[in-house]
Formats: sequence, structure tokens, C-alpha cells
Amino acid sequence: MEIEKKDGITIISTDERLDAVVAPKLKDTVKKIAEETSTKLIIDLEKTKFIDSSGCGALVASLRTLIKNQGDMKIARPSPQAQTLFQLTRLHRVFEIYEDMDQAIKSFS
Amino acid sequence: MDNPIKVKIDSTADLLLLRPLDLFVRQLVQQLPAFSDHPSDVDGIELAFNEAYTNVSRHAYKGLNTKGPISIEIIVYDDRLEIYLEDRGTSFDPANVKTPDLDVPRDGGLGVWFIKKFMDQALYSTCDGKNVLLMMKRFPNS
Repeated sequence: MEIEKKDGITIISTDERLDAVVAPKLKDTVKKIAEETSTKLIIDLEKTKFIDSSGCGALVASLRTLIKNQGDMKIARPSPQAQTLFQLTRLHRVFEIYEDMDQAIKSFS
Repeated sequence: MDNPIKVKIDSTADLLLLRPLDLFVRQLVQQLPAFSDHPSDVDGIELAFNEAYTNVSRHAYKGLNTKGPISIEIIVYDDRLEIYLEDRGTSFDPANVKTPDLDVPRDGGLGVWFIKKFMDQALYSTCDGKNVLLMMKRFPNS
């Protein structure tokens, strides 16, 4: 998992798998980032080829944490497998999802 | 197939082994000609196995000081694939898991629902202290 900050937006790039092994780490990381109010966060899923229910759950928990602290979260570049799960679980209605990173960044302006 | 292909792995239910076992299942399924043009089925089977193994690792032996055993058996028939997961922990019947209300975003509890969604059959049984989950997937076009 890599974290960078660009133009006031925090970008978390997740690894190849977002599963039960790393979901707690993502939740903890977002919790720390969300301590600042009005955090703008993008979860970049470009490298993530596999996501499971724990991964989906960590994304939901992350969004909740951010909203609670007046922040917001967008998701960028989900794989076909992730898109399938988001649609199946209707999370595509909950998350703001962008296929392009620039669009995700611009969405905060 | 007179002699179905079988593989059995006796392991410890530990999330440390989730990824290597997941990849083993994925690569096995990918090599089956029946799934060669069905990558979403391969993803679905991998996900179902992942969820089942995660559930056993997280919950079956909760409260014990030691990691418990899990046996994984995969059988490939002419027309279907069967995956068995056997543990000796606390029993847990997926049939009792309510269908999630998808209008309320959840941060957990979707694993069993995914198993049911992506496999053609998910049967759970408990006997003599052994819990067995059978997940079956028919071959596409069979």
C-alpha cells in the first residue's frame, strides 16, 4: 500500500490484493488520515486485481470514517472483478468511482 | 470422467496461508478447459474459496489459544468442480445467514452471500465435531 499527497489530496494505492489480510491495515490507515478534518482521499485500485468482502468492507468503513470527519473519498481505476462486486453489492451507488485518475482528482475541485 | 481429479491439502486455518491457497485454487481452475473462456467464473470460484477459508480462519477457532486444522479437498468431475472445506471448530451454518439488505452499505458480513452468489451450490453439514462446507460449480455449458 502506497500513500502520496498531491494538490491537497491523499492518494492511497492499494496492492495487488485487497483481502482479509490487508483490509484492517487500510481501515487503520484511513482512520489516521481522517484525523485531519475535510480530508480528500482517493483510493487508487489500479494495481488491485482481486478484492473480497473484507476489502469491500474496508472501503465502506473508510468512507464512513471520512464522512464522519467532514472528509470525502473517491475510488479510481477499479478492475473488472472489483466493478463486478461493486455492482452486485450496489456499492457503485455508494462510492464515487472514476476510471481515470485525473477525473478523480478533478472531482474534488 | 471415471477417475475424477482430486487434490487434498491438510493445513492450519491461518490467514497467513490465505493467499498461497487462493492462488493454488485459481491456477487449478484456470487450467481446466471448461473455464478457459470464462474468466469471471474463475474470479467467482477464487472469491468463494477465499471467503470460506477466511471465515474458518477468523471464526471457527476463535477463543482458542491455538490455530485449528482445516482440510481442503478439490474434486474435478466431468461436469463440475467441488471444493470441500472441513474444520473442527465452532459450527456455523451459512443457511442461517440472512440475505444482506444491499440498500444499507455494510462493512462486513457479505462473505457467505458471495459464496452463494458465485457457486451453484453451497452445503454445510456438521457431524462428529467436523464441519464441512461443500461448494459446487457446474462447468459452463455443461
